[in-house]
Amino acid sequence: MNEMTSGHIVKAYSAELDHLNELVLDMGNLGQDQLRRAVQTLKDEDPKAAGQVIDRDRKLNDIDIQADEEIIRLIAKRQPMAKDLRDILTVQKTISDLERVGDEARKIANLTIHFYDNGKNPPSKEILHDIYDMSEFVDEMLGLSLVAFTELDLDKALEVIEMDKKLYEDFRGSLRRLSTFIMEDSRNVGSVVDIVLALRALERIGGHAKNIGGFVIFLVTGKDVRHEDIQAISAEIEANRVAE
Amino acid sequence: MNETSAATPGLAEETEAAAGTVQSTDATVGEIYVDDPRMTCRNVNVYYGEKQAIFDVSLDIGKNQVISMIGPSGCGKSTFLRCLNRMNDTIDVCRVTGQIKMDEQDIYDGGLDVVPLRASVGMVFQKPNPFPKSIYDNIAYGPKIHGLSDNKEHLDSIVESSLQRAGLWEEVKDRLDQPGTGLSGGQQQRLCIARAIAVSPEVILMDEPCSALDPIATAKIEELIDELRENFTIAIVTHSMQQAARVSQRTAYFHLGKLIEVGETDQIFTSPRHKLTEDYITGRFG
Amino acid sequence: MNNQQQQHKKTMDRVQKGLDRRYRQERHFQWLGLGAIILGLVFVSFLFITIISNGYTAFQQTYVKLDVFYDPEMIAPIGETDPEVLSRANYGGLIKASMRQMFPDVTNRREKKVLYGLISSGAAYEIRDAVMNNPELIGTKQEVWVVADDDFDMLIKGHIDLRLPESDRRIKDNQLAWIHDLQEQDRVEKRFNTTFFTAGDSREPELSGIKGAAYGSFFTLLICLTIAFPVGVAAAVYLEEFAPKNRWTDIIEVNINNLAAVPSIVFGLLGLAVFINFFGLPRSVPLVGGLVLALMTLPTIIIASRAALKSVPPSIREAALGVGASPMQTITHHVLPLALPGMLTGTIIGMAQALGETAPLLMIGMVAFIVDVPGSVMDPSAVLPVQIYLWADSPERAFVERTSAAIMILLAFLISMNLLAVWLRKKFERRW
Repeated sequence: MNEMTSGHIVKAYSAELDHLNELVLDMGNLGQDQLRRAVQTLKDEDPKAAGQVIDRDRKLNDIDIQADEEIIRLIAKRQPMAKDLRDILTVQKTISDLERVGDEARKIANLTIHFYDNGKNPPSKEILHDIYDMSEFVDEMLGLSLVAFTELDLDKALEVIEMDKKLYEDFRGSLRRLSTFIMEDSRNVGSVVDIVLALRALERIGGHAKNIGGFVIFLVTGKDVRHEDIQAISAEIEANRVAE
Repeated sequence: MNETSAATPGLAEETEAAAGTVQSTDATVGEIYVDDPRMTCRNVNVYYGEKQAIFDVSLDIGKNQVISMIGPSGCGKSTFLRCLNRMNDTIDVCRVTGQIKMDEQDIYDGGLDVVPLRASVGMVFQKPNPFPKSIYDNIAYGPKIHGLSDNKEHLDSIVESSLQRAGLWEEVKDRLDQPGTGLSGGQQQRLCIARAIAVSPEVILMDEPCSALDPIATAKIEELIDELRENFTIAIVTHSMQQAARVSQRTAYFHLGKLIEVGETDQIFTSPRHKLTEDYITGRFG
Repeated sequence: MNNQQQQHKKTMDRVQKGLDRRYRQERHFQWLGLGAIILGLVFVSFLFITIISNGYTAFQQTYVKLDVFYDPEMIAPIGETDPEVLSRANYGGLIKASMRQMFPDVTNRREKKVLYGLISSGAAYEIRDAVMNNPELIGTKQEVWVVADDDFDMLIKGHIDLRLPESDRRIKDNQLAWIHDLQEQDRVEKRFNTTFFTAGDSREPELSGIKGAAYGSFFTLLICLTIAFPVGVAAAVYLEEFAPKNRWTDIIEVNINNLAAVPSIVFGLLGLAVFINFFGLPRSVPLVGGLVLALMTLPTIIIASRAALKSVPPSIREAALGVGASPMQTITHHVLPLALPGMLTGTIIGMAQALGETAPLLMIGMVAFIVDVPGSVMDPSAVLPVQIYLWADSPERAFVERTSAAIMILLAFLISMNLLAVWLRKKFERRW
């Protein structure tokens, strides 16, 4: 139970909100786990494990549906206001972002199967290296965004948003590097395209983490930052903090 | 966790209030001024004998706007509302200081007569209170005592238009001579609203007008309030936050006789700036 | 869970155990209340039965038929119409002559006197009035029904115990014989007693009536109402609606309540001192009686009116003030009409109380024996309860039934006034 959800006169209301937030955490952890496992299957060249990852995605979808139902019930029953309302909206959006994180992880797992299932065209380790580097960074971003959500920590939320820029630059860098592989040996084209798709999936996961960071800021301050200049937002937050 | 929330931006005033001196809690969060005020209240204090009920409230009431006043019971919102047409005068021990102006005229000025004031600031009460007279007489009473009608036809037309504006005409036009107390609760309340608008006031004060009504009757009144906004300025006290959210453009939150926060209704109900406001509208304290 | 169930069972057991006692208490209380009401009804019905059984006979009066010869020698020559002359004639002699004619055997002077006594002294006036209305009667012989004496009347009504020795009876044996003769000749008859309603007080029971007292009561109450009602309502409205709530109004309120509890005779003394001794108003007149009773009923009216005003819901006041009515308009247009039924009820109950009041009127001389029916508030008069008191004090047996009859009349007035109060309340009571 946290500051966001607790303290209602109707205790069941607090409990319901709390449960919603727990669902987000469950889903976040699951999504993060899916990401790690999917990348691990690539490392291990294990298409069987990749199949398991794909199966597990159904669990994420189930939680998504469950959360939607709970949210509809809660709105009908409690008519949430102010931060409760923001909390519920944030939860809903976060959940749908996390559900997509699962989808992206599934894409990577599919790649494992594509590469190693019939053993016809495994890519070289060197090309895959970018995936491992980027997945670690994205993993960190996702983790940070979830911490920001649980702790309602604006600093961490801002950090995630800031990290997304670096992620994008890394992605551009990787694309440049991969293009050199194609120039070296045109037989690499097939693998490189697949790997670019995987990188693209990772970049999307980072984008979802960034969205979650934005939701946290909305949740805490009531300001929608998705389409605003991050510099201005953080300056304003800083100014408010100084005013204290 | 608490630290993080206290450190959150946008709650600067609140944290100041929490951490600071007693004085700083007196400052109202939000915009008390509006561009086109119908009534302006400055530093209003109300005392019941020795006990102070309202502390230093300053608030503008915008023209052709609905402003709702919310807050827990005993927070002084009704008391404040009743200051606006001096209904508190009927209570012997009640004393009001500060300034409440309407069209540059201080309504608590000793020279001002309260009768014309109440004609221009009408009031609708919590419990529907039609006079135990016919529907027609209920509406015609105000225009009669103020001499607003020249003849019977004129009075008839005032009664008809008032009832129409209150959305009651179709329901009662065939039984104007029947007692107003025979109507249903919601109809009675609309009759009271019609009675208030029959004297063409500029401001209508409503003191929890729907608290005795069922949801359908409440919806009708809310719809009516929205229509009346075109011609009147409305201040409404309500216990239902949903109602405040639905009918008003501005919302003022009172707590223990102080005006804690005032602002656009949309903002108050999605992201209030003061912790007390937030706690109240999310149902977090008793 | 099991523990909880046991706890629940234990609680229910205890509740069951106490249940009998609780219901028993309730039943006992009901019986007690019912008993109290029955006791009250028994007393009231006893009162009514006694009064009615004593009094109903007063509404009848025994009449005797005489053959009167309007002897021109004893009245005036035939054709005489001068009222002056006619009124001075000896009509008693006509009746005596007629009696002598009927009982020629009675020759003894003393017996004759007893014989004449069977007929009321008022009979002569009846004959006179008949002649003065129609002088043409002179010289003719008519059958006339005249009022019997009260003892005769009592005998006919069976109030005289014939088993007593003659010396203890008001009717002697020879009278009994004459009356028997009269009855044989169908000359005795009981008729409705109009005299009772048309005459003032009299020494003779058969000639006395309550009209004087009823008129006196009417005038007294008229004065009382015209003074007490406006003053009481005005005082109540002021105290309830305008007066500031402070120590002084508290003291006034306490004193009004005290005044309502002051013994009524004190008001009589006050009236005597102020109205008669200081202002020099005459004694025994309804004006002073009304003033005194007004003082007495004023607290009742004020208290009832204030209660009525208080019961008007504040929402009505707020509604009126809210549309801009001035305080006076609020009161006259809305509060007073709603409070009026309550005020009227209080007033009527106060009036009923005043109607039955004796003690203060004794102090201002309204206990005098007054024969004439008063024509205005300045004429000396009696009132109903004082009349009852006077008659109850009289020794004649015939006054006993008249006392009861007068009480019945008074009660009828009181009941109808209370019914009027109930009716007014029902009629004007409005729901809000």
